[in-house]
Amino acid sequence: MSEPANEEEGMSRKTFLGWAAAGLGGLIGLTLGGAGTGYVLSPAFQKKDEDWVDIGPAKAIKPGKPTKVDFVVRKRDAWTTSEKRSSAWVMTGDGEHFMVYDPRCTHLGCPYRWDDARKQFLCPCHSAVFDVDGQVVSGPPPRPLDRYQTKVVGGRLLILPQAIRGKA
Amino acid sequence: MKVLMDWINGRTGFDKIWEALMARHIPEAKGPVAWLYTLGSASLFVFTIQIVTGSLLAMNYVPSPEHAYDSVRYIGSEVMLGHLIRGLHRWGATAMVILVTAHMLRVYFMGSYKYPREVTWLVGVGLFLLVMGFGFTGYLLPWDQKAYWATMVGTNIAGQTPIIGAYVSKVMKGGPELGTATLTRFYATHVLILPALTALAVGVHLFLVVWHGISEPPTRKRDDDLSASGT
Repeated sequence: MSEPANEEEGMSRKTFLGWAAAGLGGLIGLTLGGAGTGYVLSPAFQKKDEDWVDIGPAKAIKPGKPTKVDFVVRKRDAWTTSEKRSSAWVMTGDGEHFMVYDPRCTHLGCPYRWDDARKQFLCPCHSAVFDVDGQVVSGPPPRPLDRYQTKVVGGRLLILPQAIRGKA
Repeated sequence: MKVLMDWINGRTGFDKIWEALMARHIPEAKGPVAWLYTLGSASLFVFTIQIVTGSLLAMNYVPSPEHAYDSVRYIGSEVMLGHLIRGLHRWGATAMVILVTAHMLRVYFMGSYKYPREVTWLVGVGLFLLVMGFGFTGYLLPWDQKAYWATMVGTNIAGQTPIIGAYVSKVMKGGPELGTATLTRFYATHVLILPALTALAVGVHLFLVVWHGISEPPTRKRDDDLSASGT
């Protein structure tokens, strides 16, 4: 199709409008498409919340003997928040450095307990025994007790209740 | 490229379709009157924006009293560009109502609804009602105070209908009270029923527009004696 070139530059009104429509349409399409792409890909750029849990004053943990602490984990899932009761074993030698153990035995996930007389963690399910550092003394567990990350902020003990696999 | 285009053309007649849709003749109009002819296309354009942004919003929206408000807030505060997408959908809704109303007035005052375009007009009136339906059902979804009470008023107005009013109101609300069932009902209507009906009606409307061509702007006969016309 040949258009009569009625402008000096040789571009007809129709050609110009065609290009203008295509250009503006492309611009709008890009804006909308870009925004939509960002919206859809948004989860890829969301930072996962680090859900540190305050489990009370650090001083409350007596040195030398593991203490079981109960706490509530608030987990955010999009716009909802769920609460889960949980617990952990806290051990400190000097009241400054803390070890926090996941409360499940590394064998099959049973809750173990601290035997004050034997100074060992005992699991009732399959007779697993761990020492005060979480190392396997006897029984079937494949690895030492799992740990939580800890930090002390303003005299309060904070833990991140995500199990870090215990290493021998 | 040429080979590919020819291949597609040979199998779809795409160039003929393009010619019929995009390269068709339209009446000559100048100035503001010419702009009035863009209102239908503008409505269609905004409708596509509503489809795109609405589909995106549905990814993060939950139509339940527990989640509706929080999920809408989540879109605005946590989702990247969520505020923009929701803003586009919200303003697009307003633009849609204004554009289709203006389009309808244009067609009415130019007499474009007359023979042979009556069916185009009737389908257009249907589309106008569908847009009103979109506006009414979409307004409830944020589940804030304004949404709740606006829907309360709307359903109560429907309840004023003689004889069948009480039933109409109950059917709209999905029960005797405005609540959970109302929200799911409005959501399903907003995102499933109305879009399907609208797509169908837009298809028929556009086919008829292309089939009949665009009507000429009305003209006044120059030699008309207005005082003699008897009006």
